[in-house]
Amino acid sequence: MRWVLFLALFFLPALGQEGPPPDLSPEVFRIARELRCPVCQGESAAESNSGVAVEMRRIIAEMLQEGKTEEEIKAFFVDRYGEWILYNPPRRGVTLWAWVLPAVALILLALGLFAYFRPKKVPKELLEEAERRLKEP
Amino acid sequence: MRAWLWILLVVALGGLFFWGMQRNPKDLPSVLAKERRPAPDFALPVLPPYRAEWGETFRLSDHLGKRPIILNFWASWCYPACYEEAPVLEAAWRTYKERVLFLGVNTQDKEPEALKFIAQFGLTFPQLFDPRGRVGVDYGMYGVPETFFIDGEGRVLARHAGAIDQATLEKYLKEALP
Amino acid sequence: MTPALLGNVGVNLALAFSLLGLALALLAYFQGDGRFLKGAKSLLLPAFLAALAAFLALEWALLTHDFSLAYVARNHSVKDPLWVTLVTPWAALEGSILLWGLLQTLYTLLAGRRALDPWRASLVLAVLFGVQVFFFGVMATIASPFETLPNPPQDGVGPNPLLQNHWMMAVHPVLMYLGFVGLSVPYAYAVAAMVTRRYQTWVEETRWWTLIAWGFLTAGKVAGMWWSYEVLGWGGYWAWDPVENASFVPWLLATAFLHTALVQQTRGAFKAWNFAFVTLAFAATVLGTFLTRSGVIQSVHAFAEGPVGPAFLGFFLLATSLGLGLLSRVSREVRETAFFHPFSREGALLLGAFFFAGWALVVVLGTFYPLLVEAFAGAKVSVGAPFFNQLSAPLGAGILLLMGVGPLLPWRRPKAEALRNLYLLLAVLALGTLLGLARGYTVGASLAVGLFLYNVAAILLLVREGVLGRVRAGLSPWGFLENRRRVGSLVVHFAVALMGLGIAFSQTYRLESEKTLYRGGSWEVAGLRLTFQGVRALDEGRRFAVEALVETDRFGEVRPRLHFYPQMNSPLPAPKVVYTPGNDYYFLLMDFDREKGEWASLRLIVTPLVFWMWVAGALMALGTLYILWPQARREEAKGVSPA
Repeated sequence: MRWVLFLALFFLPALGQEGPPPDLSPEVFRIARELRCPVCQGESAAESNSGVAVEMRRIIAEMLQEGKTEEEIKAFFVDRYGEWILYNPPRRGVTLWAWVLPAVALILLALGLFAYFRPKKVPKELLEEAERRLKEP
Repeated sequence: MRAWLWILLVVALGGLFFWGMQRNPKDLPSVLAKERRPAPDFALPVLPPYRAEWGETFRLSDHLGKRPIILNFWASWCYPACYEEAPVLEAAWRTYKERVLFLGVNTQDKEPEALKFIAQFGLTFPQLFDPRGRVGVDYGMYGVPETFFIDGEGRVLARHAGAIDQATLEKYLKEALP
Repeated sequence: MTPALLGNVGVNLALAFSLLGLALALLAYFQGDGRFLKGAKSLLLPAFLAALAAFLALEWALLTHDFSLAYVARNHSVKDPLWVTLVTPWAALEGSILLWGLLQTLYTLLAGRRALDPWRASLVLAVLFGVQVFFFGVMATIASPFETLPNPPQDGVGPNPLLQNHWMMAVHPVLMYLGFVGLSVPYAYAVAAMVTRRYQTWVEETRWWTLIAWGFLTAGKVAGMWWSYEVLGWGGYWAWDPVENASFVPWLLATAFLHTALVQQTRGAFKAWNFAFVTLAFAATVLGTFLTRSGVIQSVHAFAEGPVGPAFLGFFLLATSLGLGLLSRVSREVRETAFFHPFSREGALLLGAFFFAGWALVVVLGTFYPLLVEAFAGAKVSVGAPFFNQLSAPLGAGILLLMGVGPLLPWRRPKAEALRNLYLLLAVLALGTLLGLARGYTVGASLAVGLFLYNVAAILLLVREGVLGRVRAGLSPWGFLENRRRVGSLVVHFAVALMGLGIAFSQTYRLESEKTLYRGGSWEVAGLRLTFQGVRALDEGRRFAVEALVETDRFGEVRPRLHFYPQMNSPLPAPKVVYTPGNDYYFLLMDFDREKGEWASLRLIVTPLVFWMWVAGALMALGTLYILWPQARREEAKGVSPA
């Protein structure tokens, strides 16, 4: 019984199976890793095994064979899906702030840190507080 | 640390997350519809039951600019959404077939299963076969089912992601029809 | 008696005991009456036992295939092997919350037994009981693991196949929860410290708790990375997914706290930061669950959206407000007055805390940036691995740099000897980097080699210092091993340096390639020759497997697989990983000829040094265990220096 099911599961759809997928060079995966798989919940086109991701890898491979550059390939997908498809947010427009914000945050933290390495006076209110507490019974 | 600073932080975080919960993160805009771009052309094989009427291959550009086109991407494995919307689409096609062209693109599917789906719902509008889903990529499709509304001038008017219901379909049809 | 009845009784009793415990602990604090405290303490064990009963009830239901429980029907199948059945309680939301609650009662029980002055004891208990009220309240209302079905099915679908593919999945969630829950104890102590305005001792008192939580978090993260690598079939271990980030943030903050706690213990400084770190680390543990269950952000971990999103958001905000609100109330009293020399131990620890906190901030900003953009600009953007990798590299390098020199610097002021050591170390760093460049590595990878050798040199200097010190004092050099805190931390530091090297190389040099081979055809790639011999199918009961038989010239036959689960649309690739000291060879079967088995598409991923990352993970756990080993504590308590 199981084997019948098994056959039904894999060998009947073979009618619809096309030829084998194309060979993919490391370059294809390098580019696909920076592109988002549209149907997935947060996987890149290199990782996902969904149909769209497989097709995206194939498109990348074909475009590389046509001599297209990485920039042109990414532009091809941005043209269709918008900048959402780029995992590396471009350093312009609304995503520029993705790069600026962490830098600003780190600088602010560093400034706070710098204060520790400078000799400083004890704040006046603390001294007053200490005196007040000394006087308490 | 000042008192207002942490209150601000907590309120901002709470507000952002609460707002985030009210929306659907999977709701992604269509570049084509937003910019009203001309519908990307394609030529796909027609599934066997429709060959007598529509020929072996279907080229979209032969039909663009004549009347509005409704382009529906589906797959037999997309359960239940595709199964919910198929009767809705078929019924609308029967009403509007004189004024609007309905087009089904079976995507990333196997032919026998696609034919079974077609038979199950008795679909009479032309069905094309795109096993790899290349056309879906050209349309910036996120996942099946998705329906694109192309106006009489051949521009993409709107995109609906997920199963489409009668009311939404009618609404977009009204927009597409002059 | 049915599992559902026992489970519901257990959950509701645990909730009742926790509510009563919370009320008694608060009464004890406000009335200043020891009898209430005694009453609260007497509820610790009953709450734990009730939670345990509920947990065992769920196991009972799973083992007896009681499909009248919705949880069992959704996540269990009679075909599941025994080990899968036993770990199914934490395969889905409701069961995970139950496990979390159970572990919380256990930690509360252990923490509540510690001797403490009655004021702080009642506050600590109030906070911990409060956390329990939240978890059991969620279980009793919106996410009950014991909800029943009117028409139970004959069989269920079983847990998510990804979770049954590797035994690591049995371990990873438990370790993570043990770590998350562990952070609740330092948080409770911090709240008590801020309320009672006794800012100094809580750090020392919760050192063990923080270390235990840190150890479990680290082990849990490494286990998750391993699982991701061996099961998910993408040949990676870290994807910067929002949920990974959400659990990385508490790890970063806990690590920062472990180090700044040292400064407070020794110099009484950094009190405000310690309160903030502990509060945010604990709050961040709740944030991860909120992210997975509310659908706020797209993530691979986001399964079905549940009704618990708003509850976890509320709890997150409450925990954050309590900690930060109390901190702002006492901020004037915990202000720093000390002066730090940059070339002192505390200077290095402070800089280290800056890097950890900065890293956490970068991860938080990157994770929520798409949400911010959508809220304010209405646009959809993605922030993914390339972004995080670029920003993490300099921060990680900074931490590795400080990790080497920090422990060699004396407290307060640099000494001539320390500066000599520093020059020596910088020379090693420069030499190592040059060595890497000479071997043709990229600048980043060369720097990683330099930093690794630099850290090894620093550890050797520290061992030499410790051993020589004992010899000069006429003691046995082996006694150095008895200094568990120092030796353990050196082991952990070495492991971190090794991990850094592994991450740098595996991220820089990764070869990934895919080719279709016909039967008998071969493929020469990455110094390897593969010959495809054919495919074969196997029936394994709950799934079917298709194996590709691939002959390699170096490792003999390897058999990457595809697993077909009845509940999944597409097959799951089960990779075959061959670890070697240099490179990992990761074989995947992507597709095969379904008609005759004439061809197969194979993917090979070659990644350097991943094996050493798992070694590093094990060393981190071992180093932490060495510090925590009970013997060390007894000696310290007696104040006897072992000879």
